[in-house]
Formats: sequence, C-alpha cells, structure tokens
Amino acid sequence: MVIADEGELVRSSRKGDLGAFNTLVQVYQRQVYNLCLRMLGSAAAEDAAQEAFITAYRRLDSFRGGSFRAWLLRIAANICCDELRRRRSRPAASLEAALEAGSPADVPSHLAGPEEEALRRELARHLQQGLATVPAEQRLAIILRDIHGLSYEELAEALGCSLGTVKSRIARGRARMREYLVARRELLPRRFRLKE
Amino acid sequence: MMLKALLQFRHRRFRRDLSVYVDDMLPERARRRLEAHLDSCQACRQELAELRSTVEALGSLPMAEVPRSFTLAAAPVAEVSPRPTARRLEFGLRLATATAAFVLALVVVGDFAGLPGGGEEEEEVRGELFSAAQGTPAAMEAAPVETPEPYGITDVPGISDVERLAPAVGADVSEEEPSEKEALEEAEVEEEAEAGAAEAPAVAEEEEGGGLSREEAVRWLEVGLGASVGVLVVVWAFARFQRRIGNRP
Repeated sequence: MVIADEGELVRSSRKGDLGAFNTLVQVYQRQVYNLCLRMLGSAAAEDAAQEAFITAYRRLDSFRGGSFRAWLLRIAANICCDELRRRRSRPAASLEAALEAGSPADVPSHLAGPEEEALRRELARHLQQGLATVPAEQRLAIILRDIHGLSYEELAEALGCSLGTVKSRIARGRARMREYLVARRELLPRRFRLKE
Repeated sequence: MMLKALLQFRHRRFRRDLSVYVDDMLPERARRRLEAHLDSCQACRQELAELRSTVEALGSLPMAEVPRSFTLAAAPVAEVSPRPTARRLEFGLRLATATAAFVLALVVVGDFAGLPGGGEEEEEVRGELFSAAQGTPAAMEAAPVETPEPYGITDVPGISDVERLAPAVGADVSEEEPSEKEALEEAEVEEEAEAGAAEAPAVAEEEEGGGLSREEAVRWLEVGLGASVGVLVVVWAFARFQRRIGNRP
C-alpha cells in the first residue's frame, strides 16, 4: 500500500508532527504486525510491533529516502532478529515453543465456509510450523517476498543486502519449505497438495 | 563419466535458478536455457511444480488484523546517536586539550623549579643530564622544561602538537569527513598560531644565545600554551553544542 503524500508525511514526522507519523503507523501497522507475527508468534508480536514504531519515530532522521515501507519493515525485522537471538540464549523459550503456543494460524477469514475455514487453518498451522524450521534470515526473506509481496529491490532495502543475497535467501528458504511440505503432503488441503 | 558429471553440474545450476524463475525474474537468455532444460528433465519439472505450490501456499496465508492500534500517544524521546566522526572529533579535541594542559603544567612547574638558576646554568645542567645521566634535584626538576620539545613545535614551525599527535590518534583522524577535518584543522591552525608565536622567541634565544632571556621565552611559552588550552576548550565546547554530542536519551 502506498499513499500519495507519504513523502510529505515523513517530512512532517521528522519535524516532530506526531499526527503525521501516526497516519503512517495506521497505513503500515498491519504489515509490521504480521511480519512480527510470522517471525515471533502471537505472544511477542504485539510488543515487537510497538517497539518497531517507537524505534522508527526515534530514528526518522536516519531515513534516507527510498521505500518507507522497506525501511520500516527493516526496523521490525531487526527487532524480530534481536528477540530471536535473546530466545536462543534462553533455551526454555525456544522459537518452536513460542510458535506453538501463539500460532497465528487462527487468523479468521470472513470469506470461507466452515469446512474451507478448517482446511485453511490446518494449512496455516503447517506453514507456520514449517516457517519455524527455516533459518531466521531465509524466513524473513520468504515472509517478505511470498506473504507481504515485496519486490526483490524492496527486499534488498529491507534486509540491507544485495540482490544476489536476496535471491539466494529466497531460494534456500523456499527449498526448505518445499521439503517440509513434501514430507507432509498428505496432510495438506488438496488444492495445495504437492504432486507426487 | 565426464558427461554425467557435467550434466549433474548443469542440473544443479538450473535447480538454483528455479526460485527466480517462479518470480519471473530470470534474464531472458537464462530463462530460455532453463526452459530447454525443463523440457528434458523430469526431476526439475517436478521440483518446479512443488516450488510453485509452496509459493502459492505461502501466499494464501491471510494477513492478520492488528489486535490494537500501534499509534503513539506521545512522542518518544528522540534518539540522537552521535556520528562516529563526531565522536572522533570530540576524542581528538579532548586529547589535544589534555595534552596542551599537561604540557602547560609541565612548563609552569619547570619554570618555578628552574627560576633560582639562570639560563646558562640550566643549559649546563641539561648537558650534564644528557651526557653523564647525572642530575641534581634542581636538574631533575628543570628537565620537564624541555619535555615539550619532542612534540616539536620548535623545529618545524608549520606543525602543531595536534598534528604531532595525529599518528597516535591514527586512522581516526585520517578518516574524518572533510567538514570535520576542516574543523580540526581550524583548531590546529589556531593553536599553531599561538604555539608558533610562543616558540619563535625561544628558538631565537637558543640559536643565537642572546636577545630574549630564557625566562621571557618560558613566559611566552606559558602564555601560548595557556591560550591554546583556552582555544581548544572553546572549540571543543562549540563542537559539542553544535553536534549535540552527549544529548543522548
């Protein structure tokens, strides 16, 4: 989602206009929250998203133009990586456990019927568990590419790396997800069942 | 055997390209080569189909609604992280100020200690110190008077003690941005002017052995160093104020 006067809102925010910044928050909060949700699980996503916006406001001076969305998602991604690092140093609170406890699989869909809804939840649960097995950098890349729909260029900006690295991370992340889903093909809804 | 290894190598390379191909981001030539390979390679076709299903499945994940609004009720305290160059400048100025103050203290102490003796006597004492390594208490105290010399304001008039310190500060100073450099150089020039003015009579006195007395030279040196310290402190305070160093949340 791109708003026409985003640049103006960023400029006003830099001058201390909190209202302008909050307009940007409203535009991007769903994307930031969903990134945190996929990376950390629902238990920690809320705090991480709030921290991302506070950090973004404080560091507005470091925004050098380009895609504001990519810049914002980069801040959120860094916060998620910091949280994952903290968790690694505390084995009791492992990522897997956090994802199991607060899986975002129960995101309601208003369009589906009960059966479709059940299948969708099942798929979402498998995908979330599969994502948890992918290394953080590759997971970030495939979440931002395949769920958030960022272009390769935006991804390079959001991840702070070259296009080549972006392609490689996406390819390796997808390959891991493919292996995970192939091993559970019979559990997936028919529409997404991987061919034998 | 060789052919089989070559085919395996090509196959691995094509597999690597599959992900970019799914996103339609493969350059035209590479895309045509991959499609030709796909026609003849069942394993790659299978992998491509699985990869497409994986991407489609990931894309089907719904975006959750936010549990609450993340708008900020009040502006958080701005985070002003000083740039590394600003920190280096601050460090350089602090070091230069400390050095100038230290040298000034040495000169003043040496001056008071050396006052009872005349200029010629001190010269003799210094000679003894260097040649026979024997020193009276007076000579030991007088020695610090000469310590500024290694910082060498005397022999090369164009170089101040800040520049002399540059090797000690090392890469830090050399990495300064042009604007920072200018500021530092400005400080150096100011100090150099002061120090140069103070040192010129001393050189004259030492070389010609007459004209200005040693006491007067030391006075000039003290005045010069004092002014240098003052200038450096002002520059340092100005830089701090300008760059808001230290104004951290």
